[in-house]
Amino acid sequence: MSILFAWLCIAFPLIGAPLSPVLAKIHPKLRDYGEVFLSFLSAVASVMLIPYLFYPSKLPMESAVVWLTVPIELRVGVLIDPLSIVMANVVAVISFIIMVYCLGYMKGDPSLTRFWMWMNLFIGSMLLLVLSNNLLFLFMGWKGVGLCSYGLIGFYYKDENKYWIGGPPPTSYCTPSHAGLKALVVTGVGDVLLLGGILIIFFYSRTLNLLELYETSSVWIPEMAKSPGIILLLSLLILAGPIGKSAQFPLHEWLPEAMAGPGPVSALIHAATMVKSGVYLIARFIPIFYYGYWVAGCSEASSFFILTAWIGAFTAFLAATQGMVSLELKKALAYSTVSQIGYMMLALGVAGLNSSILVEGFTSGIFHLVSHALFKACLFLCAGSVIHTAHSIYLQDMGSLKRYMPYTWIFMLIAALSLIGVPPLPGFWSKDAVLASTLEAHNYPLFLFALITVVLTSFYTIRFIGMVFHGRESENVEKLRQKGVHLGEGYRTMWVSCGILAIMIVLAGILGPRLGHFLREGFQYNLVEKLHLPVEHVKENSMHVSVPLLSVIFVIIGAVPAYLLYISHRLDPKGMLEKYPTLKVFHQFFWDRWYINSLYYRFFVDGIIKLSAFVAKSIEDPMDRFYHKKLVDGIIKLSAFVAKSIENPLDKAYHEKLPSLITKMAYNGLMRMRTETRELLYNVTYILIFFIFSLFIMLWVIK
Amino acid sequence: MIPYVLLQTIVVPAMASIFIFLTRHKLGRKAGWIASITLLYTTALLVIAGIKVYQGEIIYEEYPFVGPDIKFDLLADGLSLPVALIMNMLCTVLSFYSIHYVEHRIEAIYAEVDERKWRSTYTSFFYLFLGFPIGFAGVSLVTNLIAMYFFLELLPIVLYFIMAYFGYVERVRVAFMCLLWAAAGAVFFLAGTLLTYSQIGTFRISELHALVGNPWTVWIILSFLLALFPKMAIFPFQVWMPWVHAEHPTCIAGLLAVYANIAAYIIVRVLILPLRDDFKVFCIPVMIMALITMIYGSLLTMAQDDVKRFAACSTISQLAYSLLGLAALTTYSVEGGMFFFLSHIMGKTLLFSTAGILVYITGVRDMRQMGGLGSKMPVTALIWIMGSMMLSGLPPFSSFPAEWIMFTGIFIRSVQAPPIALVVAILGVCAIALTVAYTFWGMKRIFFGPLKANLSNHEIKDPPLTMSVPLLLTGVVSIILGLYPKVIMDLFHFVIGGLLPS
Repeated sequence: MSILFAWLCIAFPLIGAPLSPVLAKIHPKLRDYGEVFLSFLSAVASVMLIPYLFYPSKLPMESAVVWLTVPIELRVGVLIDPLSIVMANVVAVISFIIMVYCLGYMKGDPSLTRFWMWMNLFIGSMLLLVLSNNLLFLFMGWKGVGLCSYGLIGFYYKDENKYWIGGPPPTSYCTPSHAGLKALVVTGVGDVLLLGGILIIFFYSRTLNLLELYETSSVWIPEMAKSPGIILLLSLLILAGPIGKSAQFPLHEWLPEAMAGPGPVSALIHAATMVKSGVYLIARFIPIFYYGYWVAGCSEASSFFILTAWIGAFTAFLAATQGMVSLELKKALAYSTVSQIGYMMLALGVAGLNSSILVEGFTSGIFHLVSHALFKACLFLCAGSVIHTAHSIYLQDMGSLKRYMPYTWIFMLIAALSLIGVPPLPGFWSKDAVLASTLEAHNYPLFLFALITVVLTSFYTIRFIGMVFHGRESENVEKLRQKGVHLGEGYRTMWVSCGILAIMIVLAGILGPRLGHFLREGFQYNLVEKLHLPVEHVKENSMHVSVPLLSVIFVIIGAVPAYLLYISHRLDPKGMLEKYPTLKVFHQFFWDRWYINSLYYRFFVDGIIKLSAFVAKSIEDPMDRFYHKKLVDGIIKLSAFVAKSIENPLDKAYHEKLPSLITKMAYNGLMRMRTETRELLYNVTYILIFFIFSLFIMLWVIK
Repeated sequence: MIPYVLLQTIVVPAMASIFIFLTRHKLGRKAGWIASITLLYTTALLVIAGIKVYQGEIIYEEYPFVGPDIKFDLLADGLSLPVALIMNMLCTVLSFYSIHYVEHRIEAIYAEVDERKWRSTYTSFFYLFLGFPIGFAGVSLVTNLIAMYFFLELLPIVLYFIMAYFGYVERVRVAFMCLLWAAAGAVFFLAGTLLTYSQIGTFRISELHALVGNPWTVWIILSFLLALFPKMAIFPFQVWMPWVHAEHPTCIAGLLAVYANIAAYIIVRVLILPLRDDFKVFCIPVMIMALITMIYGSLLTMAQDDVKRFAACSTISQLAYSLLGLAALTTYSVEGGMFFFLSHIMGKTLLFSTAGILVYITGVRDMRQMGGLGSKMPVTALIWIMGSMMLSGLPPFSSFPAEWIMFTGIFIRSVQAPPIALVVAILGVCAIALTVAYTFWGMKRIFFGPLKANLSNHEIKDPPLTMSVPLLLTGVVSIILGLYPKVIMDLFHFVIGGLLPS
């Protein structure tokens, strides 16, 4: 019965997608509420799985049906274990809240049928990804969410100016259709490499079932290790997928532009769910690589953890620097998302760097995923409301909105404080857990990166809160007020959804340590008791106590200047930049996204366009000319040559020279054969020949 | 069981073709419906045969022909039947699609003709068109090389006339060019066939295994490959394809993709299954050629502005995927390669036909003059995106499991082979990203963004249902096979699984 909930969890939204146009034919309201209701049913089904977290000994559970028997037997289905239950709930519950928000936000949109189709298809694909019991269907969900992300980012495909993202000039704009394509292609690069990794795993393990992969790892991992370089290659290929999907360096550049989609799409896909799929996948592979490194002794397997941790830490820092200078509200949140996912990656990476922190690292990564999903979804939904009210995506077009949108301000502030890591909100507990795991791995450079990012996070968060809700009203807001535009909270469904998320954040904060402990128990049981991964037990590190203190100190270090600059306005940001040229250089560097985006465009986009033009002009055209002109011309010339130089002389030889020669010779011969010639010599010769011939005949006859 | 079920799939379209020809001045527009209904019937016959084959039967029909060595035997097994069925289904789809499209071509080319001439021209398309299903069914069902050669060479002749009569600007020149390329391939095919006969004394495909270990076998395989590579447009024999696709009437574009792809079936039937060990020597070189073609074709596609050439160049790239799978010579890769071939021809039919719809409705071929059509032609945009997804191997379409099974086999071969093979496999997977890039970029150029001023008139709308519904149904078939690939994989495995090691 219980496993049925996992199937239903996937099925409801997947049914909802094709049902959207059918319901729309009956009545638009039936479509709207019907689609939200199906996501609600999915959320209920996922919540029904939660009790199993209290009985980890009953997990994992699997249910599967035969999908293929030849050339490979593949039973596809669902897997329930602590990780999939946590992920399914994050996805289904937050998705439902966002769907409720959409009822107001998307009201009146002429393409709502398409919108609901994409949204439910996305939710279904995401749930397929996290609940699948095998790598193939996980990959199917993976591709599905990528496609939905493309459809939803490019939702406003007519590319009207009001939906452009980027700017202000001279910085270039990006249209929604371009942003969608960019997301699809960049994540697609990671996807195909991931597929390569999965295929290599299949070659050695001959299974795609997750549990079988874990169970047989003692056989196939040592086999794989016999070929030097393969595990390193596998690490790179497997990591490429999560790096793309979770927007980590070097495939992080698609996420800022992905904000071209509707606000709730950013909340759903680019904050709460899809971007977490990379984190989920890494968590799925941790037992395999951990076994390879710590049990099978394959040193190459450590590369998976080293790469994950360093990519995570660096991305966290890189994205946070860009978040500090962003002028678009949703883009600032997007950078923040990239940065926070970096933290999750860091935690999962350090989980395998030390044999004693597997459970801590794993738990802190997933714990941060859960808390981030809550507060970032809330931040994005609130941002949607703010943009809805301010009629602008730019922070400088907002200001002092607190007085018009008090509820949104409170909800967004709660979420922002959680993002910063202010106790006792969940962001504090989860980030503290990440920092503690990093410290316990004794990798101090990584820990330093993480701490610096705490400062930056604190700075950019207070910056955007200050620019949106505090200070003076912007000219834009003033104009809107003068025009009589309604400046206030959005539709009820919008602020109620934000409120529910804010309450959930507060509750998660109050329950934070218990929640962390609860998750830890579940993961420990699964990783250590069920999968038999060895974990070294060490005494509680005294340094661990100092982590919360350090975390708060670094939050304050970032918060104070941001407060002075953007809330109290004791310092002038522009004046500071003018005063300190070095600061201006850094500002420009961060604003230009470390020049990575422009480099990619120049190298990959322009490069491939140039290469394709080169192929068309310099290879295809000459080949075309060769086959269809030169070869044809050559054949024509050859035929002309044959006609002129061979056929004509032959013709002459056969039809002129030979007949004339024969005629001449025959004439001469005949002339000479005549007996009545006046040449005695010829006559005597003929007579002699005749007699000799006659003599021979006679001799032959006599004999 | 219906008698002569396989023979009927060839003879019934032939009779319909003759009937249309004889009544060409009377039938007019009905010719399209007669051809389409005939093909619906033969598709239904093949479905019935398919059910029998799925239940484990092999359908074999024997008919006398020239002599004891050249019989007209027809065989439907797990390999030939799905190939024949899907190809026949696509012929049916495109026959319906052509009912309106051919009218448009005649108006464009022969605007001034009287009613009698119009009828004669219109009907001529359909009696010629029926040559395609005859040829495809023949190639997939016959059991000897000479008969296969006959049907294979019937196709370019039909193609020549249709292109010359109904094509675009340079139709006569390009039709002739296409015929010459086919003739060049035919020479090698015939050479391979005769060499085979000289060694084993029979043309029967089932006896080809007698060539195993024969020193001439390498030359025979090479000869067949040289015959089939130009058909598959493998680099450096690809140059004809953009021309042909640019000039032919778009209603047969999907069939041209089938025509090119059928070489994959021949490679499996004639070379890989009976001569696997001898084929091994070609394995890595052919994989490399396929990889080069995949990347080359993708880059070439990106450089195109003409929507018809765009689809043509993508075919070059996509055909090479199947070849990569076949050359890897594992059960997974060959079965996956065949499945990918069928998925690809369905996807390509959608994509090409959408290009045809765009030309039919807008009269524009240059993608730079398109843009924003999604709002005016949502169904057409949907068909294009379905085609793009099918080509890119995205779920839930059949190309997703096909690509996955095929690449599984490629990786199995590559991990065991020299490192170059693994590089080829990884780059091959990476080439999928290029497919995603160019198909969806095409989507953006044609359907997204603001509507171009030249396309804002009221006549710009989705095409008639006879054009769009068959294409949507093709997409549905692909989805069904994508969600439940067991049916087709079981069929392939009956034949391929027993002959190739897993």
